[in-house]
Amino acid sequence: MKPIILQGHERSLTQIVFNAEGDLLFTASKDKIVNAWYTSNGERLGTYNGHNGSVWTVACDSQTRYLLTGAADSTMKLWEVSTGKCLKTWEFLTAVTRVAWSEDDEMALCITEQRTGQPSVIRTFAINLADPAASSSTPLKEIILSGSKATCALWAPLSEHILTGHESGKIAKYDAKTGEEVNAVHESHRANITDIQLSPDGTYFITSSKDKTARIFDSDTLEEMKVFATETPLNSACITPLRPYIILGGGQDAMNVTTTSSRAGKFESRFWHKLFEEEVGRVKGHFGPINTLACHPQGRAYASGAEDGFVRVHWFDESYFRSRPFGDLEPEVEV
Amino acid sequence: MASTTPHKSDWAEDDEFELPPTTETLGADGITTIVSWKFDENDKKVKVTRRVRRKLQTQLVSHSIAERKAWPKFGDDKGKPAGPDRQTTIIGENLHFKIAAVNRAAAEAAAAADAAAADAAKAPAGKAVVCRLCKGGHFTAKCPYKDQLAELDSAAAGLGEDDEAAAAGGVRAAGGLAAPGSGAVGGKYVPPGQRGGGPGESMFRSRDDLPTLRVTSLSFDAEDDDLRSLFEPFATFGRLARANVVRDRETRESKGFGFVSYENRKDAEKALAKMNGYGYDSLILNVSWSQPREPRP
Repeated sequence: MKPIILQGHERSLTQIVFNAEGDLLFTASKDKIVNAWYTSNGERLGTYNGHNGSVWTVACDSQTRYLLTGAADSTMKLWEVSTGKCLKTWEFLTAVTRVAWSEDDEMALCITEQRTGQPSVIRTFAINLADPAASSSTPLKEIILSGSKATCALWAPLSEHILTGHESGKIAKYDAKTGEEVNAVHESHRANITDIQLSPDGTYFITSSKDKTARIFDSDTLEEMKVFATETPLNSACITPLRPYIILGGGQDAMNVTTTSSRAGKFESRFWHKLFEEEVGRVKGHFGPINTLACHPQGRAYASGAEDGFVRVHWFDESYFRSRPFGDLEPEVEV
Repeated sequence: MASTTPHKSDWAEDDEFELPPTTETLGADGITTIVSWKFDENDKKVKVTRRVRRKLQTQLVSHSIAERKAWPKFGDDKGKPAGPDRQTTIIGENLHFKIAAVNRAAAEAAAAADAAAADAAKAPAGKAVVCRLCKGGHFTAKCPYKDQLAELDSAAAGLGEDDEAAAAGGVRAAGGLAAPGSGAVGGKYVPPGQRGGGPGESMFRSRDDLPTLRVTSLSFDAEDDDLRSLFEPFATFGRLARANVVRDRETRESKGFGFVSYENRKDAEKALAKMNGYGYDSLILNVSWSQPREPRP
């Protein structure tokens, strides 16, 4: 397996996402730029310039036409993927920490940061797909969070609900229409939830947390299904389609890195078996903690972005698809 | 591969700041020679010659992907030619990635070995429990590499006593190394890269730093993976830094020798002792320390 190393950022990565077909990768970083890359050869397609603060989040619609980004300059921007042109900007009072598209691309959600006097708010917007510049600037719904702030969110399947992960370790489910909290699990994690990603079929999702665990929950009932306990704080987790694995990334906090030796840092992407909750492999390469992970939607590759400013795209070898670490218990997969 | 041509440093000369165009010539043997020019950090012109064999790989993709492939570049990359830019995209070194259930016992043994190495600094080395097979900090009967090593062990039974001595030396050496790792000795600052526990971190660790064995009279059929599986049992946690068979640049045929790099010297010593003279594929392996490459003229 030869990784493709993408060095298009000067500062640490915040979020990376593949498009629906997996041929493009979008990377957001603290250096204010969002990059688009061809995943097959690592060629950079272009950059989306215009944000005036760390870009915290990026999301691509299902048709690869529009890109949403949220940044520390308190704006959410909508871009045309093919030209890098900014079509629309929404302005808020605080930084945007997470954006997501609904399943039909007609709605978007964004989370704004909690600051003195400003609560953390989840807003949903209607996006006019024919002419995005004409989309309304007033949100469809504002969900003002009274308790712990939300750190990450995504649309539940069918886009009727929003799933959120909170700083206190709580996960919750909100009705997108009424804005009511439908369900919540308060003690799901012991610490800050850092990432939330949906499974390929949407029936369950994975959360990663600073409490050194990743957990899989049922999207409908929020019932905890699996726990993966590691030895480092986790920044990201994703579920691999095609094979029954999950990938976890993390490591020492950036501020502690200089005081620990390289081996103790554990800046590796770790593969765990989704069902048996056992570690099955590691991929090293980064020399800073991994901030964000994304898996190719067809399960052919995965990418990791780290505090060191590099993105590494790994196309899986033949042996990965043939692997059955727990023997005959696992079904064989035709690739 | 890259050769430097010192340029006459006439600052008045205008074309000093212009690079000759990149040229590509296709040889009769199907190998393309690409000659490109760049400035190095001292603003000297550098000629870079690359010889590559181009292989066209056809992949069937959906229409939307094919359409996107033809999009013109935008933003900072506007107007750049098609194909990956070497400024932003590099291909990393080959990683050995295998999905396999982690051997719990092995992991615990490794942790125990680490702890033992740490203790060795205080306690006399003789008291530590040392596995006869893999020199880990556990009893021989509990060795996680027992199955893999049993046959090798019998092959080299005569070496047993020497090994014992070597192992004790190894533990002592490890203890000696651990001391500077425990922090600033004598109040002196030790750069992270020179603290105990091996070299510091860098994305491209120089392979010359690693203890490397040269394996000759290797079967021509042996692949990298065969070499790896042959030498892996000696490495702590079964991790080799690299194992490769040297091949002819053009024909890709094996030259009958290869290199194996370990992450620590102790493992390499162990492998050298056991594998030199080991029969593999009707040939007797000849294993020796690899000599660092002479600096090129």
